[in-house]
Amino acid sequence: MNEHDVMCQVRASFSGLHMDTPVENVLARSRARRRRQVSGLTAATAATAGAAVAVTLAVGGTAPAHSAGPPSASPPSASAGTGHASSGSPRAVTLAAFSVTSGPGDKTTLILRKGSQYQLDPSALRQALAQHGIPALVTVGTFCRSASPASAGLGQVLQPLSEDNGEAMAINGQAMPPGTRLSIGYFSSYVKLELIEDGSPLSCSSTDHQPAVHITPSGTPIRG
Amino acid sequence: MGHEQDEFADFYRASRDSCLRAVTAVTGDREVAEEQVAEAFARAWSSWGTVRRHDAPQAWVMRTALNLGVSWWRRRRREVPLAGHDAAAPAGPGGGVDPALVAALRRLSRRQREVLALRVFLDLDTEATAKVIGIAPGTVTAHLSRAVAALRRDLPPANADTNETEAIR
Repeated sequence: MNEHDVMCQVRASFSGLHMDTPVENVLARSRARRRRQVSGLTAATAATAGAAVAVTLAVGGTAPAHSAGPPSASPPSASAGTGHASSGSPRAVTLAAFSVTSGPGDKTTLILRKGSQYQLDPSALRQALAQHGIPALVTVGTFCRSASPASAGLGQVLQPLSEDNGEAMAINGQAMPPGTRLSIGYFSSYVKLELIEDGSPLSCSSTDHQPAVHITPSGTPIRG
Repeated sequence: MGHEQDEFADFYRASRDSCLRAVTAVTGDREVAEEQVAEAFARAWSSWGTVRRHDAPQAWVMRTALNLGVSWWRRRRREVPLAGHDAAAPAGPGGGVDPALVAALRRLSRRQREVLALRVFLDLDTEATAKVIGIAPGTVTAHLSRAVAALRRDLPPANADTNETEAIR
């Protein structure tokens, strides 16, 4: 075979490969990307304005206990991650390891930042998602499945998003069947997700094949 | 906007398969490649005013796709157990392409795969390939020569087993 023959063989071998994504999906993805960029810019502007207000009040000596400020970059804590919105709309939570924000549309955007330097507080993430109407079971270093998987496919609930500094997904809480919750297993290098049935016994494992902990419907963990 | 969108749609339909094949040849994973190419086309539409004037818009898409960091979540997405599919089937290394060829491509360096993909799937000449990758034309020639030599050594002749090489999804 000469060079031409080899290149022809390579070309022919890939000829059955076709991209199935319709152009409408690409256009929609581009629009969503622009919206995120705009909302990010708006949030950054608002955070800057909030910081300016806080600084002004601090100079005056009467800063309120819950003055608006930029998103915390400190490790998550219960108070930082579980603040309640005073209005009806859920509050955006931005911590070092994750952020939970409204949109796009009726969905909720979850960003999980990767890297071993981030210490994800599972309770803070669970409560942040709960504020957006997304019941979740969040575990770190382990992943829990229910004995009877939820009937709805995860693909109806989750949509991957583009994010330069971490993992982003849009969660459609309204697509979650009643009586289910989202199991999120956060590991140092990846995350696992599954819809699980409330009340169903759970099998939790730190690897794919070695169940480490069983949790009864009442929430009691059983090791073994 | 309507005209530009039609123009982009025509470009997408004409280029998507070539870009997918090129990126799959480099990454060795059709699922990852499709995700990256779709994102690259979305970015191309966001910058269509610039991309449409590019010397080789297809190459712009391919470079963008390859430059996108492979999202760890997307990379592991196949591990996300879907209901009733606890052991989600992996996408397959080459998306249905002859496994022997996929294995042979994996033994090449990434740069060699990039050069080969640009030459084979996007029909770029040596000069254009060099410009896209940012290396000297002579280096392109050297990479291509080594890649072809390795593939010639590893691959059976095209007509040696037609059934096997036609095992494309």
